[in-house]
Amino acid sequence: MTMSLASKSLQHQTSDQAAALAQLQLTLQLRFESITLDVEQTLGITGITGIYGPSGSGKSTLLRVIAGLEQRATGQVSLSERQLQDSDTKLFVKPERRQVGLVFQDSRLFPHLTVYQNLAYGAKRQKHRQLSIANILSLTQLTAMQHQNVNQLSGGEKQRVSIARALLAEPKLLLLDEPFSALDKNTKSQMLTIVKNIQQQMKLPMLYVSHSLSELQYIADQLVTVNAGKISPSVTIHRAIDDLNSRGEINPLTSISATVAEHLVEYGLSRLQLATAESLTQSIYLPLLEAQENSPLIGQQLPCIIYARDISISTTKPEHSSIVNHLSATITAIHYRHRHALVTLKVAEQVFYAQISLWSAKRMALAVEHNVYLQFKANAVHSYHYTEPSINA
Amino acid sequence: MTDLSADLLALTTTLKMAAISTIILLVLGTPLAWYLAKWQSRWKVFFEAIVALPLVLPPTVLGFYLLLAFSPNALPGQLWQSATGNQLAFSFSAIVIGSILYSLPFVVQPLQKAFEQLGEQQLEAAAMLGAGPIDRFFTVVLPLTKASFVTATVLGFAHTVGEFGVVLMIGGNIPGETRVLSIALFDHVEAFNYTNAHILSAGLLIASLVLLSLVYLLGNNADKKTRRAKKS
Repeated sequence: MTMSLASKSLQHQTSDQAAALAQLQLTLQLRFESITLDVEQTLGITGITGIYGPSGSGKSTLLRVIAGLEQRATGQVSLSERQLQDSDTKLFVKPERRQVGLVFQDSRLFPHLTVYQNLAYGAKRQKHRQLSIANILSLTQLTAMQHQNVNQLSGGEKQRVSIARALLAEPKLLLLDEPFSALDKNTKSQMLTIVKNIQQQMKLPMLYVSHSLSELQYIADQLVTVNAGKISPSVTIHRAIDDLNSRGEINPLTSISATVAEHLVEYGLSRLQLATAESLTQSIYLPLLEAQENSPLIGQQLPCIIYARDISISTTKPEHSSIVNHLSATITAIHYRHRHALVTLKVAEQVFYAQISLWSAKRMALAVEHNVYLQFKANAVHSYHYTEPSINA
Repeated sequence: MTDLSADLLALTTTLKMAAISTIILLVLGTPLAWYLAKWQSRWKVFFEAIVALPLVLPPTVLGFYLLLAFSPNALPGQLWQSATGNQLAFSFSAIVIGSILYSLPFVVQPLQKAFEQLGEQQLEAAAMLGAGPIDRFFTVVLPLTKASFVTATVLGFAHTVGEFGVVLMIGGNIPGETRVLSIALFDHVEAFNYTNAHILSAGLLIASLVLLSLVYLLGNNADKKTRRAKKS
């Protein structure tokens, strides 16, 4: 794949930076429209930090404050040891001097420049250039279209240019403001995979804003939630989703990272292996990820989600069922809600959520500590993993 | 001096006045248009009205007040005289200053509109890539508002060439100094020299038509380009 081409040179220069850089301190107040953004938080921002919240909650404004595009914000912002603004001492580092990159939702490419010239715009303004435009072009899969006019690009291509351009300004922190919300699922998967690769190769901390939890589950290492101008401390993505589930703030879903074990090409399925302490392995089948048996994906961790409404419970082992996934689990909690019961179960250390009708919960006499079987179709397992379309297929 | 050489002298005076005025107008009008486009205050309308005033005011009114201001007894006239040693009223400098004020809206208004339409998006993107304000102006604003700069330049220039009232009031009719085409034309008509008047009139008419066609042609092309850019 094109990803690996640039990896060596990229990693070399950024790994020492990354070690020193891990914190974002924010003490902020900013009134906008009907909400006041009121933040007092020190965030560990190694890797990709997802910022989740409903529209209008202040996520984008938070990014704009960090970028230096909201001069009206009062309070302090500092990135690692560097103060970016402090309204008490009237310190305000201008956006062009913050070494923070921002990928806008609406790409904002310069229409009078070609793809290459857009990329060069950021690169030219760096005193100590370390990245080469050619490397970044290949990392973002833009080499073939570098001389095109940006107005002719598709939505996904535009966002790739936008990301490449931001990377070439060599920021110490990259902010992404719902960059792929306008893209179709397939293009989005491709973009998420590219961003993940960039993160792994360049070790650049990223803040990724989205209102799509499934997108964040795939891409983020940890999650911060923003609600009505307040933000929560960052926790790992799986913990964050469990918290959101238990507070009933989202459509309940199970968040898993499982190891890719094998591709059953002839059956159109891939098998994941759930990390279990016991000797017995628990497998999860999902639609085929890659059409080759020895793909580089094998052995890697794949984040995926299963909506609670797609999981059902059986008290006996469902051996005569067409449903491929059945896992033995223990009930840890049952929450009765308006029209259904949300059952929390554990398969080894992994938490699952199943949403069943009140009628079923009563009929099966489910209770905490019961051992039951979980069932779900392979199609119920969602992942943003992107496969390059094979040319011969 | 023959009529023809006198008219040629009036033509060069006119072109010189228009060229110098247009350059100064672009230098001063661009930042003015920028601030008017970005400024958010209720006082903004007042300044916009001042800029637009020459559009509705009889040029002789502007000329009359400038004549008073430029006289050696008034403060601006005195300052000018002590700085340069020359009288300001009835000089080439006077008609340049008059032209600048008179043609101000023709330069400032298209630029202000273009800056307003451009918005903040592209500028924020440029800032995030490390470009400071001056850098952003030359690498983003100027290339994206090129058509409006052409419009502003052509309108400013053409309007200055055609001015009469202000020049008559503050410049008088000094050959090689303040005698411009429109004044020369007036002289010919007063002297019933209709042949020469025809030559000047037709010349000005055709030149103006050509310039304006050029403006609209450029405007159309720029519109098409933006429409194409927005569609994709």
